[in-house]
Amino acid sequence: MITKEEMEHARTVLDREPTETELGMLDVLWSEHCSYKSSKRWFYLFKTKDDSVALGIGEGAGLVDIGDGYFAGVAMESHNHPSQIDPYNGAATGVGGIIRDVISQGCKAVGLMNCLRFGHPSKPHNAYLLENVVRGISEYGNSVGIPVVGGELEFDDSYTDNCLVNVVCVGWVKPELVVRSSAKTPGHYLVMFGSTTGRDGIAGVSFASETFSDDEEENRGAVQIGDPLSKKIVIDTLQELIEERLLDGLQDFGGGGMTSAAGELAKAGGTGVEIDLDKVPLREVDIKPSEIIISESQERMLAVVAPENLDRVVLLLEKNGTPYGIIGKVTNDGHYTAKWYGEVQAHLPINLLVEGFPVPERIEGKVPAQTESMAWFKEPENYKKILLDMLGSVNLCDRSWVYSQYDQHVQSNTVVDLGENSGVLEFPNGRKLAFTSDCNSFWCLLDPQQGTANSACESLRNLVAMGATPIFIADCLNFGNPERPESYCQFVESVRGLGRFSNDFEIPIVGGNVSLYNEAEIEGEIKRINPTPQIMVAGIFEKGFTPVRRNLVSPWANIFLIGDTLPELNGSEFQRITTGQVKGFPPKYRPEVEKRSMRVIKEAHQKGLIRSCNNVGRGGLAVALMKMALRSEYGFKLNLDYIPGAANSLAQKLYSETSGRYLAEVTESNQADFLEIVEKHESSVCELGLTNKEPVADFGAFSLTMDEAREVFSNGLKQFME
Amino acid sequence: MTIAVLRFPGTNNENDVLRALSLINGANPILVPSRKGLAGLEEADAIVIPGGFSYGDYLRAGAVASVETITEGVRDLAEDGKPVLGICNGFQILTEMGLLPGVLLPNKSARFICKWVYLKVSDHPTMFTEGMEGSIIRVPIAHAEGNYYCSEEERESLKDELRIPFQYCNASGESGLAYNPNGSLDNIAGIINQKGNVLGMMPHPERASRAVLGSTDGLAILENFVRATK
Repeated sequence: MITKEEMEHARTVLDREPTETELGMLDVLWSEHCSYKSSKRWFYLFKTKDDSVALGIGEGAGLVDIGDGYFAGVAMESHNHPSQIDPYNGAATGVGGIIRDVISQGCKAVGLMNCLRFGHPSKPHNAYLLENVVRGISEYGNSVGIPVVGGELEFDDSYTDNCLVNVVCVGWVKPELVVRSSAKTPGHYLVMFGSTTGRDGIAGVSFASETFSDDEEENRGAVQIGDPLSKKIVIDTLQELIEERLLDGLQDFGGGGMTSAAGELAKAGGTGVEIDLDKVPLREVDIKPSEIIISESQERMLAVVAPENLDRVVLLLEKNGTPYGIIGKVTNDGHYTAKWYGEVQAHLPINLLVEGFPVPERIEGKVPAQTESMAWFKEPENYKKILLDMLGSVNLCDRSWVYSQYDQHVQSNTVVDLGENSGVLEFPNGRKLAFTSDCNSFWCLLDPQQGTANSACESLRNLVAMGATPIFIADCLNFGNPERPESYCQFVESVRGLGRFSNDFEIPIVGGNVSLYNEAEIEGEIKRINPTPQIMVAGIFEKGFTPVRRNLVSPWANIFLIGDTLPELNGSEFQRITTGQVKGFPPKYRPEVEKRSMRVIKEAHQKGLIRSCNNVGRGGLAVALMKMALRSEYGFKLNLDYIPGAANSLAQKLYSETSGRYLAEVTESNQADFLEIVEKHESSVCELGLTNKEPVADFGAFSLTMDEAREVFSNGLKQFME
Repeated sequence: MTIAVLRFPGTNNENDVLRALSLINGANPILVPSRKGLAGLEEADAIVIPGGFSYGDYLRAGAVASVETITEGVRDLAEDGKPVLGICNGFQILTEMGLLPGVLLPNKSARFICKWVYLKVSDHPTMFTEGMEGSIIRVPIAHAEGNYYCSEEERESLKDELRIPFQYCNASGESGLAYNPNGSLDNIAGIINQKGNVLGMMPHPERASRAVLGSTDGLAILENFVRATK
């Protein structure tokens, strides 16, 4: 809710009491979700500019030039709070919202991703949330006809009372068809279309900008309801409107409903708007004007139309049978005026309504210091058992229970399915783009800055392993209550980490979202999520390059490890699984080391020397290699004595999560060329062993059959869901 | 040869089908929105009903679409012996219309399922499988209701009349519970009508029509469909 201080500020600027409608409007637009009032001040730390960036942070989607007369578009957003209360509708409308963001820029939406966080699925309520979130995403995305090409899932008890549902949509547009979210010309019409307006999602953003209380049920009315059939019709209709270039501006109705949609159009255009709320097509008869203006009913778009195009627009809307209303006009008075049958309900200066809030003071506390100590570490007695435990653990095991429910192939552009390092789509200019996302929330909990930068490195390696060059980042930053110093410092440190990464690797951040207040107060105790900065990175392949998968493809090939392995097991999955907790200083962010190994893999891919490749990440070397073998019909035989770096015991070598490492399968004939490249880039390397026709994972000191491994790997999550 | 690719509100594979057909010599695919009614089919020599969620799958998959006016035109063409292909939701619509026997029940898992599957092509020749008889092909599926079921009588006639061109199997052609993705009767993935000119199938041939997508096996089915359009 609007604070006392904000109320005073509004009174002073207006020199009167705000009306009921105005209060509702200020409440939603000044909410953290819409205003970014705690977060925006730090965005200067990001690298946002680049020659390729056609449209950066600030509108519905970021646009990046991918050559041959095409832009790629991307948007990323959270729908956490609604999904906790109503997982099916919350997740579905999260997908719906992110699609609207991308199409409102004129893009054709071609791919979806989702990044999810839940409490451990062994608890029935967590499994219920996962089941229904996945169903919501699946039924909505599948119906609308946009493939899911990537995603990520992590479990931790910190998400039990506050699950996370982050969604990404990517699209493409020709530069001449880009539509901007601004209303520049007074006298133009405001036309809303797509669906009717009802009471669902009233002030959803305000609810998302507060922490949860014990009684979640009372917020059910704040959750929106999705309608994929209407959305499909909106998409088809919009395509016709855009191809005929009939729109001078476009904004979707997302968080904040009409207040935000029209307010932002006017703000961007330096104009005003006058809206007749009685012209809005409604689905409920007794809805009040103060509700219409903040309703977040789904599948609605707001278009700016020049008078000479109005007849044609109306014709197309009628032909497609989509509800619409000519609800107002762009003005030159710099105000948001809303009327109800001629009577003025709201008359707010745009500059007050949009970003006119008094900037709140936020205090950055101190992140608890961690030590380098590994006193907890014990060499395991039974290596085989530990490896099977790891492979079957919920944060490492097979996710196909989730992604087999998503249509991955609709639109017929999918080159690489889910379950690989990244999903790959072919764009209409013939270029292939890869999409991946990562966040290790345990690293981010122990050290938000290093953890964030290092999570971003994992995304980077996912792309590089396949042969793609990273071209842009979108992020979704999920944190706790910014009014608490101990929570706010996690956010600020994480932004610093992402800022460092984007500058160190010169990858522009073109879109994103901040979701704060992800904590619940249960019986007086504060339950805050792990800091969860989701970082999505897109990459592009050279023309004609075939993406390199991670499944082993030939027997008797050499398996190389690139990069040093250090005794970095604090914050690792090994620590979590063997001790039940994470503590200590997590694996360090080392941009220079990371770059060296990246250059090795890139050049080797260019020369076609690598048959299969994997990023070494969560679970370390052992898990990365097992994942290469699990997707193949082969096994391997290793000698781990000569691994470069300071890790000295077997378990340290197998499970350290030191960054900057890759595994590469290289055939005998290419070995010399490959090693030359490693030397050239001053990286380190060792030959771990050979792939083997026999499906056995032989680590030297112990071995297991691939069938045993596959059994635990595929059941890890499924056992809780079926 | 003009091939009408139908779009009901909620259909979402029409562009994929149009794109795949446009790769084939002699095909002239046109998009026909269902609101055009019978007039939309005047030029048509053949019809594809693509996948998607016509009318949001409200009531039952394919049920609402199957009573639209345009389906009368589909029925007339089918009776004339012109090729009609229903893919996924299109298959569901054809069974709802009664042009093909049986129904498509919810998957045994009760969940939507998307994956690559192998299909065994029947040895018996059909206009859709020329040159593919007895082979094993790889195409993707994506559906929530693909669990084919029919009466014992219908089942007997499907078998006796050799009207099951596609059955789920593994890479080496063996059938079994593990390779049947949705629980369908006799591992049925696709069936034809008695005349042999109407094919309904759950897998998506258009999604296996370019090498970059991982398979071109589906293109062969569409090529046969175009060849049969005379």
